Amino acid sequence: MDYQMVPSICPYCGVGCGVLLEVIDGKLAGTLPLKTHPNNEGKLCIKGWNLHEHVVSDNRLLFPLVKEEGRFREVAWDEAIEISAKRLKAIIEEFGPDSVGVLTSAKMTNEANYLIQKFSRAAIGTNNVDHCARL
Amino acid sequence: MNMMHEIVKEWLEQEKIDLFIGYKVVDGHPLPCFFTRENIDDVDNLVESKARYPLEKIAAKVYSTHPEMKIGILARDCNQRALNVLYVWNQLDPEKIETVGINCCPSPAREHADCSYLEREPSGPLKTLIGIENNLKPEQAEVYSQEERFKRWSYEFEKCIKCYGCRNICPVCFCKECSLEHSDLIKKGELPVEIPIFHLVRAVHMAGRCIDCGLCEDACPANIPLRLLYREVNQITARLFDYRAGTDSGQSPFSILGENVTLEPMSL
Ligand code: SF4
Ligand code: SF4
Ligand code: SF4
Repeated sequence: MDYQMVPSICPYCGVGCGVLLEVIDGKLAGTLPLKTHPNNEGKLCIKGWNLHEHVVSDNRLLFPLVKEEGRFREVAWDEAIEISAKRLKAIIEEFGPDSVGVLTSAKMTNEANYLIQKFSRAAIGTNNVDHCARL
Repeated sequence: MNMMHEIVKEWLEQEKIDLFIGYKVVDGHPLPCFFTRENIDDVDNLVESKARYPLEKIAAKVYSTHPEMKIGILARDCNQRALNVLYVWNQLDPEKIETVGINCCPSPAREHADCSYLEREPSGPLKTLIGIENNLKPEQAEVYSQEERFKRWSYEFEKCIKCYGCRNICPVCFCKECSLEHSDLIKKGELPVEIPIFHLVRAVHMAGRCIDCGLCEDACPANIPLRLLYREVNQITARLFDYRAGTDSGQSPFSILGENVTLEPMSL
C-alpha cells in the first residue's frame, strides 16, 4: 500500500489555505488542513475540507461534449474548439461582442484567469468577465 | 540517527511492523508520513513534529483496507488514549499496533514538551467580556450563573461556520452515519447552526469517547472552546458512570443505549 500526504493550496477562494491531500494507492482520498501553513494555521472551511471531492466526483467533466438534438456527444478537443469558435463568431457578428459574457473560475491559476480576461477583451471584445469568487 | 530512528528501523527490519506512521519535514512543514522497509533509509528523516495530526485515524484507515498490516505509530499521550478508544470500538486491532512513545504535554513530571497545544493565545477583550475563554477549566466556567453561562456559550456557538472540521479531525469520530448530517437533527445548508443543538449533539456523542486531545479546537476556525465543552460532558460521564475515555477499558456506558436502556435526565 502506498500513502502520500501532498501539501497544496486550496483553490476555492482568495484566502489560499494550506491543505494536505491524502493520496492512497495513487488515488485522492481525503483533505486535511495543513497545520503549519501561515494563512490558515490548521483550519479550513467546509469547501477546503471537501476539496478532494471535486477531483474524484462522478459529475466531473473529463472530455468535451457537444449537444446535438438534445443529446450530448463526446468530441475531440479540436472539433470542440472549432465548433465553439464558429458559434461565438456568428453570435458576435449578429448581436455584437457585448452579447457574450465570460465566466472564469476561482479554481484556476492566476495565469489562466489572466489569459481568459485577455481573450474576452482582445479576442471577443467585451468587458463582460466575471468570476465565482466575487460573491 | 537517534534512538527513535534505531527502534523504528529495527522493528521494520525484524518485521515486527510493516509500516511506521510518523512525521517528516517536507518543504518546511512537518507532515504525516509512512516509513517502510523498502525505503528504510528514509527513517533518518523521521521527526517528532510539534504540529499534531490524528495519526491513529490514518492508521484506522489503513486497517479498514489492509487489516493484515502491522503498524507502528509515533504516539504522544493523546495518541495513546485515542488508540485505546479505537481498540475498544474495534476500529483497530491492538495486536497489530506498536507505539513509540514520545514527549508530550507538560506536567509536574515533565517539564519539556513537544505539542501544538502548548501556547494558546490569551483571549481578546470581547471574548473575555461576552464569551467563554478557551483556557478555562470546567470548574472556572461554572462560576457564571446559568443564564449568563448560556448567553456566553451561545455567543461562542453563533460563530460556528459549520465546517465540520471538529468532527473531521477528531481521532475518535468514526461513525459511518454521523448525527451531525442527519436531516432530522441538523438542517442542511443553513447558517448559523441551530443553537445549541448542533454543538450539544456533538458534545453528547463525545461523552465517554473524547480523549481530550484538543485537535477539534485547534481546527476550529471560530475558536470555539470545544475542548472545554467536551471536558464538561466527560466530567459528567466520570461522575455518573465512573468511566474515563481512553484510560478505562471497555466501551463507554453509552454504548448500551438502545432498545432496553434509556437515560433519564437526572438532576446533577
Ligand atoms: S479552505 Fe475555505 S477559506 Fe480556505 S482557501 Fe479554501 S475556500 Fe478559502
Ligand atoms: S478533544 Fe476534540 S478532537 Fe480530541 S477526541 Fe475530543 S472531540 Fe475529538
Ligand atoms: S470546527 Fe468550529 S466552526 Fe467548524 S463546525 Fe466545528 S464548531 Fe463549527
